[in-house]
Amino acid sequence: MTYPVKGEHLYKKFKKQVVLDDVSITLNEGEIYGLIGPSGSGKTTLVRILLGLEKADRGEVQLFEQKPTLNAFRSLGYMAQSDALYTELSAYQNLDFFASIQGLRGKEKKARIRAITKSVGLENDLKKSIDHYSGGMKRRLSLAAALVHEPRLYLLDEPTVGLDPLIRKEIWLLFRYLRSKGATIIVTTHVMDEVTQCDRVGLLSEGHLIAQGAPKDLMEEYGVSSIEDVFLAKEETRK
Amino acid sequence: MTNLLAMAHRIIRQILRDKRTLALLIIAPLVILTLVWYIFGAKTPEPKLAVINYSSSDYLSAFKKSDYLRMSRLEAVQALADQKIDAYVDLKDPVHVHLEGSNPQRNGIAMTKLQKSMTKVQKISINKLKNNLTGVIHQQQKAIAAQKQAMQKMTETLRTYAPGILTSLPQQQASGNSNAPKAPQKVELNVSYLHGNDNLNTFDAFGPAMVGIFVFLFIFMIGGVSFLRERTTGTLDRLMASPIKNYQIIWGYMIGFGLFVIVQSLILTCYLVYVLHIYNVGNLIDVLIIVFILSFSALSLSILLSTAAKNELQMFQFIPLVIVPQVFLSGLFPIDTLPRWVQLIGNLMPIHYSTEALRNIMIRGTGFSGWGFDGAVLLGFSLVFIVINILVLRASRPLAV
Repeated sequence: MTYPVKGEHLYKKFKKQVVLDDVSITLNEGEIYGLIGPSGSGKTTLVRILLGLEKADRGEVQLFEQKPTLNAFRSLGYMAQSDALYTELSAYQNLDFFASIQGLRGKEKKARIRAITKSVGLENDLKKSIDHYSGGMKRRLSLAAALVHEPRLYLLDEPTVGLDPLIRKEIWLLFRYLRSKGATIIVTTHVMDEVTQCDRVGLLSEGHLIAQGAPKDLMEEYGVSSIEDVFLAKEETRK
Repeated sequence: MTNLLAMAHRIIRQILRDKRTLALLIIAPLVILTLVWYIFGAKTPEPKLAVINYSSSDYLSAFKKSDYLRMSRLEAVQALADQKIDAYVDLKDPVHVHLEGSNPQRNGIAMTKLQKSMTKVQKISINKLKNNLTGVIHQQQKAIAAQKQAMQKMTETLRTYAPGILTSLPQQQASGNSNAPKAPQKVELNVSYLHGNDNLNTFDAFGPAMVGIFVFLFIFMIGGVSFLRERTTGTLDRLMASPIKNYQIIWGYMIGFGLFVIVQSLILTCYLVYVLHIYNVGNLIDVLIIVFILSFSALSLSILLSTAAKNELQMFQFIPLVIVPQVFLSGLFPIDTLPRWVQLIGNLMPIHYSTEALRNIMIRGTGFSGWGFDGAVLLGFSLVFIVINILVLRASRPLAV
């Protein structure tokens, strides 16, 4: 068993506020890991530290079982909470750029762009300028930009926020398809019905990883019927 | 390398699709320079002047009727207060000038005009003196002639009464008119110019500085904001989570913008030289090289400062700090007399060097020897900024270098 990404004893402080306090997380290859927790619990910071965009004050991160290198980023797809697109460019030009800096060239690049836009349902809107895109379309294009180079590891920060249920369903279908091809996905989310579709979930609360495991096991362990209740039960025992 | 080109390609596409930015980059400097051309290239206005107490003055002929209104004292005082005239000259007390005084520029042109008249006044007074002198000389000459006659009479009487004394006297030559004053040679000012000519107007002198200021300003704004957006929209994070190297990002920006800078400086320089006919004896290629290097330093500096800004407003807050001092210390105004520390600050400003170089090229017509040093300093600025930029980017990707 290999570990695409592993963080050990991560501790991070912004000014005087502790954002992560001794968080350890290890992803298994080929799983969908849901990172859940209220806003401000440290989900985004954890994802950014795992990526190497931020440095933990203490603790260590490994990407593909070694210290992060530029080359490792080639196998990594990142989607932030913001859409992070170039609004002056057309959808195609955006994907073209992100595919290029990931090392895709020529025919292969074109084929990949075509394939990925089909799977997010934007194949008919490629020539449009991003300015004319709706919020949901931008979100899907942003996802496509993270997926275009077929990475082995996906770090997706709230990928489905603001999407209508139908598209959300299709996107989760896509995630499961990627997983079937051996990819590992870490997703942060607020939406509880998405949580049950994850192989494993981690519950973050005020910088602590308070529980971790398959959703079913967690609910059984605490004798509750939803992950939300796991949160509440955990909070009560802490008090 | 391919990453670098992808980066540059994207920036070129972005600017091409954003028509406003394109217009700001290329058309706006032309419009503003044309305005400046009209303002500084315009003929200086004629001052409105008057004379009073002129009837009994000898100097009135120095103040032509077409240039100086004839007024009574009361009229002149009123007109000056109403700003209908810039100055009046009182000819009673030989010459006394009363200026309106509120606008230094109008004071200046009034004084220039007055000084021209004053040289005439001086001529008149010299002539008067000369006339007086020649009168005196005439009288003396008459006196001398009378003395000569007396002498002649004396020698004649001596010849008749004591001829022996006469031979011992030295023979006196009749000196005639040889002592009469020669007409003074007319002295006129002959002016020759080492550089430029007497048609050089303010715009010709300001032009090189103006080119620097506008190129710097527009590149600074557009480049800074576009890199700032990379941070605020999160696209920089996306880049940081990809295998692209830091130097490829910064140089990609340099090359992408560089293309537009070449086009911009070419249009701007040709417009100045061929449409506005700014004085230029230098090589157009030299001008282009300097403008190009200058915009490189503007771009690299703006990217650097954008890291210290959280949003567009904060980026524009740098303009009064970075651009305005450069305008004043760029060489538009003489800085030789300023305190040393101000001059030192001036030496840290890119536009200072571009102005010096462009003046050498356009007005003095010097080749590489005239702009090589300034060009090198500008390149140095750019390289230092670029290196700092690459180091700063490292902080955005702390784990993998």
